[in-house]
Amino acid sequence: MVRSRRAAWVPYLLVLPTFVFLGVFVAYPMVQAFLLGVTDPTTGRVTLDHVAQMTSDLHFAPSVRDTLVITAIAIPLQIALGLAMALLVQSRFAGHSIFLYLCAVPIGISDLAAGLIWLSIFTERGFLNALLFDLGRITQPGPFLTYDRPGWLLAAVVLTEVWRATAIVMLILLSGLQLIPKDYQESAQVFGAGPWQTLRWVTLPLLRGSLQTALIIRTILAFEVFAPVMMLTGRLLPVLAGESYLWYSLYRNPGVASAYGVLILLLSGAFTWTYLRLLRPHPGEVRA
Amino acid sequence: MSVRQTGRVTRRQLITRGSVLAGALAASRLGARPAFGAGAPEVVFSTDQLIPLQEQEWARTSLMAGFTKTTGIPVRLIAEGDGPYVDRLVAEAKAGHGTISATGALHGLYPIMLSANLIRDMAPLQKQLDAMKDRTFYRDLLAASHMGGMQAFIPWMQATYVFAAAKSSLQYFPNGRNPMRMTYDDLLQWGQNMQKAAGGQRRLGFPVGPNGLYGRFLHGYAYPSFTGAQVERFKSPDAVAMWQYLRRLWGVTHPSSFTYEFMYEPLLSGEVWVAWDHTARLIPALRQRPDDFVVLPSPAGPRGRSFISVIVGLSIPKTAPDPDGGAKLIEYLTRPSTQLATLQGDGFFPVSPQVAKSATSGWVKVVADGVSAQAGAADAHTALLPIGLGARTAEFVPIYTDAFQLIVIQGKNIQDVLNAQAAKLAALYQAQNAVCPPPDPAITPCKPE
Repeated sequence: MVRSRRAAWVPYLLVLPTFVFLGVFVAYPMVQAFLLGVTDPTTGRVTLDHVAQMTSDLHFAPSVRDTLVITAIAIPLQIALGLAMALLVQSRFAGHSIFLYLCAVPIGISDLAAGLIWLSIFTERGFLNALLFDLGRITQPGPFLTYDRPGWLLAAVVLTEVWRATAIVMLILLSGLQLIPKDYQESAQVFGAGPWQTLRWVTLPLLRGSLQTALIIRTILAFEVFAPVMMLTGRLLPVLAGESYLWYSLYRNPGVASAYGVLILLLSGAFTWTYLRLLRPHPGEVRA
Repeated sequence: MSVRQTGRVTRRQLITRGSVLAGALAASRLGARPAFGAGAPEVVFSTDQLIPLQEQEWARTSLMAGFTKTTGIPVRLIAEGDGPYVDRLVAEAKAGHGTISATGALHGLYPIMLSANLIRDMAPLQKQLDAMKDRTFYRDLLAASHMGGMQAFIPWMQATYVFAAAKSSLQYFPNGRNPMRMTYDDLLQWGQNMQKAAGGQRRLGFPVGPNGLYGRFLHGYAYPSFTGAQVERFKSPDAVAMWQYLRRLWGVTHPSSFTYEFMYEPLLSGEVWVAWDHTARLIPALRQRPDDFVVLPSPAGPRGRSFISVIVGLSIPKTAPDPDGGAKLIEYLTRPSTQLATLQGDGFFPVSPQVAKSATSGWVKVVADGVSAQAGAADAHTALLPIGLGARTAEFVPIYTDAFQLIVIQGKNIQDVLNAQAAKLAALYQAQNAVCPPPDPAITPCKPE
């Protein structure tokens, strides 16, 4: 009797520290940010002024659009590339461990530094100009990232994001791949499935859980990104997190900054929910 | 009290131990501390200046070290951006228990600090400083330090915004014109000439990046030079003519300008030949290659040559744990020898007319020549940063930079944009009941006519 009562409590006791940690450092700041976003700082009353100020700002609509566009282009690229790299490493070709380490290098680089690296490639006195000049393809260096070439700006940001974040997708998918028992693939081969068929009908379905994790993590982080974007494009390609930062640090308005924060939270939540629904296990499905 | 002291000792021991791991440089600095620290509590000095790493290093190892050497009091420097800087002072005031004993900030932040009741009246300390023989202060700086019925700060440093140009670019300056008396038409012509000479590449640069200071060029330089006012004539026909000019100027401005935040970088790389920026953001280029660059005054427009005078002031928070130590530090920072060292180390100009005259060599002279040509021009008039907007001070500049974005980059109708932005300006000044910033007439609340 005593034993079973203790056993019933043990799981709750074990999750308690995590629960407290998340409560103090995640849930509480989240509630506070939400309150900041809807409270008038002088009267303390509930107000939608900050939201109105946010939506009427000149940079609001472009920042929503650009954040979604960058996410919509960069994430599929990251997932596809990350999957290809993970499969390549999993095939254990000669030198695969060096390849793995090289691919993982960007994980250790801060996003601001990543922005700086790519800016130093694309500026007028940058590496790309030097290379093209040395190859004799251009007669004099010129700037690539200019305000009248929004396509170039977007491409540079997507490239930086893909370079910076594909490695983390690869690591998540690689660990997922390693969880899949070899038996499944061997059985598929016994039944005459080619490599493509094995990938499509055996590996990918079993990888669904890892894909879901990678998608959720990458999408949430994509909504938060702003340092490399600001580095490369200034404010010509405004993004939500960048606007939040500028409203806080430049305009000294925590209310509107929080309104942006809440918007990012809602968007991240909506996307996470969608991923969880779309990639949920079918009844009776086996997951690696 | 004894509890707090015990706490301090353990923390110091902890820091000293940590510094062994942190590296030789940090270790040598902290390791030296106990020798000074015996009996002398440290003074914490916070500032929104000295943020770049090199400046912080200089401030710690040279500026503040000099104070510790003469007084035996160690200084802990906290340098952070405007946002966290004010937040820290507010947090200490709210807690009713402070750590900061002296603070130094931009003139424009003081109205915010006054409205939050964070700082002490500096008039008594000013009286003590005035009694010292070697202490002089520019009159206009002292005038700016009085606000809300008290003296909010002791003048510490000053700066302005000027043009820096590669000497090789002067050959493209319009024929027969004097760069030291540049007009806005000269500037445009110069930009066009450089573009021709560089095979179509644009070589004039402005800091239009998100943290760049281009907004200051709009409200403190272009507007008063074209319209005679920063706010009052915001949507006037003169202002429309100014925006038409700015569109043409943008046509000869380097297309990467929207990422520039510190103009010394593109100047040193050769990406731009002529750049406008804050003196502190140009000086690294002059320091590295003093023989290659000149400093030129800002241009004159139809209504004269307007420029901004940036003032940084020192004060003591109400919650200061050691106001005497803070006052000692302020006395040290306003000494003539410290002022000269500050100019050489950080590029900020002395607040004392006597000290200013004594800088006569190297890059310091190059900058001083340009700055005095600007301030001493017959058609010069000073624009001051807006005051009295309180907690909403930071909303002022975006009204101008957003207008730039809409008119120059997006090509919207000038008068429509100006009318809409003028309504925002009027609402801001109405809500805060603030006076127009000089050179505008002193109307309260300020309103674009």
